[in-house]
Amino acid sequence: MNKVVIENLLRFVVLLLLQFFVCNYVHLFGLFNPNIYILALLLLPFEMSSSLQYLIAFATGGVVDLFLMTYGVHAAASLLLVFARPYVLMALTAGTVKQENLEVPMPGQKTWQWLAVYTFIMAFMHQFAVSLLEVFSFSRFYMTLFVAIGDTIFTTLLIVALLYIFSPVKKK
Amino acid sequence: MENLLEFFRKNFKYFLFVVLELVCIVLIYNNMSYPHFKLAKASQVITGPVYTFRHAVVRHFYYAKENEDLAEQNISLLRENSNNFFEESDTVISVFDTTSSKKKRIYDYTFAHVIHNSTYKKYNYIIIDKGQKDGITPDMAVLSSRGVVGAVSNVSENFASVIPLLHADSRLSARLPSINQIGTIVWEEGDPLHSYLVDIPQHLAVNIGDSVLTSGYSNVFPKDILIGTVSEIDNSQTSFLKIQVELATSFNNLNTVYVVKNLYKDELDTLKASFKNE
Repeated sequence: MNKVVIENLLRFVVLLLLQFFVCNYVHLFGLFNPNIYILALLLLPFEMSSSLQYLIAFATGGVVDLFLMTYGVHAAASLLLVFARPYVLMALTAGTVKQENLEVPMPGQKTWQWLAVYTFIMAFMHQFAVSLLEVFSFSRFYMTLFVAIGDTIFTTLLIVALLYIFSPVKKK
Repeated sequence: MENLLEFFRKNFKYFLFVVLELVCIVLIYNNMSYPHFKLAKASQVITGPVYTFRHAVVRHFYYAKENEDLAEQNISLLRENSNNFFEESDTVISVFDTTSSKKKRIYDYTFAHVIHNSTYKKYNYIIIDKGQKDGITPDMAVLSSRGVVGAVSNVSENFASVIPLLHADSRLSARLPSINQIGTIVWEEGDPLHSYLVDIPQHLAVNIGDSVLTSGYSNVFPKDILIGTVSEIDNSQTSFLKIQVELATSFNNLNTVYVVKNLYKDELDTLKASFKNE
């Protein structure tokens, strides 16, 4: 149990530092900006109580907000992400797995296509919330949507790559 | 009451979710409020050191660009110096034109980077990264931000070689403004920090620390550019003083240099050539 806590804590610190020092300064084509810190939220173990997960998401998003001076935007989006996570997973497994038995999807258990689709859905939800809350209006909606989709693709690519680079894949 | 508490306990996570989301929405909505301003100020305690650290690392990547910008700026400042102009104030000026004293530009500047440099040989030379293509021609003066470097000797398409003051054959006409005397700067092998000012007569009082400037007679160097300062005076040898000059330019770490172009060079050269022919 202790090992899991330390592992998660380390993951949060590393990903947040990566976010602050590198990703916040990357602007692909001058527009698209990856948010890779959500990987730490996606990998939170399901054994943890939901309330604690929400508080962690709120705090993580809040720290990102401090650096971007967008108080509340990332916190709200991260909270939404963690809240929606079990429902998206259950929908993707077509209801065959019950909420108590959910597991964090990792390479080795699932194909990379499945992981990419899952990550895309989660990242898009987060990114779309961030974009909308940042603008806080529905004017120029298609532009917001376009940027959100670009960000999501970028984030998904990075996250799937990180998952495959750093997870110990068991060979059959 | 029991049922209500039970309901609340059972659905605690949903309440927490809604409450936290509401907190976020309130924060976003009150974008311009006083608490928001206080929050921004307080958060700088955390974000400030992180940004400072990042800046301390990242700024090293921008030195090249910044150096280029500063060189540009130096050139625009150098161009404004009065020693680049020839005042036409004593020519006939019409009565209606007295306000505009006519200035004619003689010297113009460009900058270059040193890509090869030697200081410990007898015949040292410097190579700069600009050449014919950039309008460099032989006999142009080369300056550093501190003082004189030397003169261009050979020019290829993209590069040029410079004979620095640290060259056994280099001669530079120099002026001691404290006594208003003209001398010549020569260099002796082995010491990249000092040169010698010769041809100053014995009877003149030269002080240690006097600055030595270019005379402006060569048509290569603009007038009054710093060469160095007097560091030692030797009057034991001939009827002339041998004055050691501590060079203003540090030749061991040259990077950006300024190349000076005399816009009337061709005209002056033909004039000089006509003297030789007679």
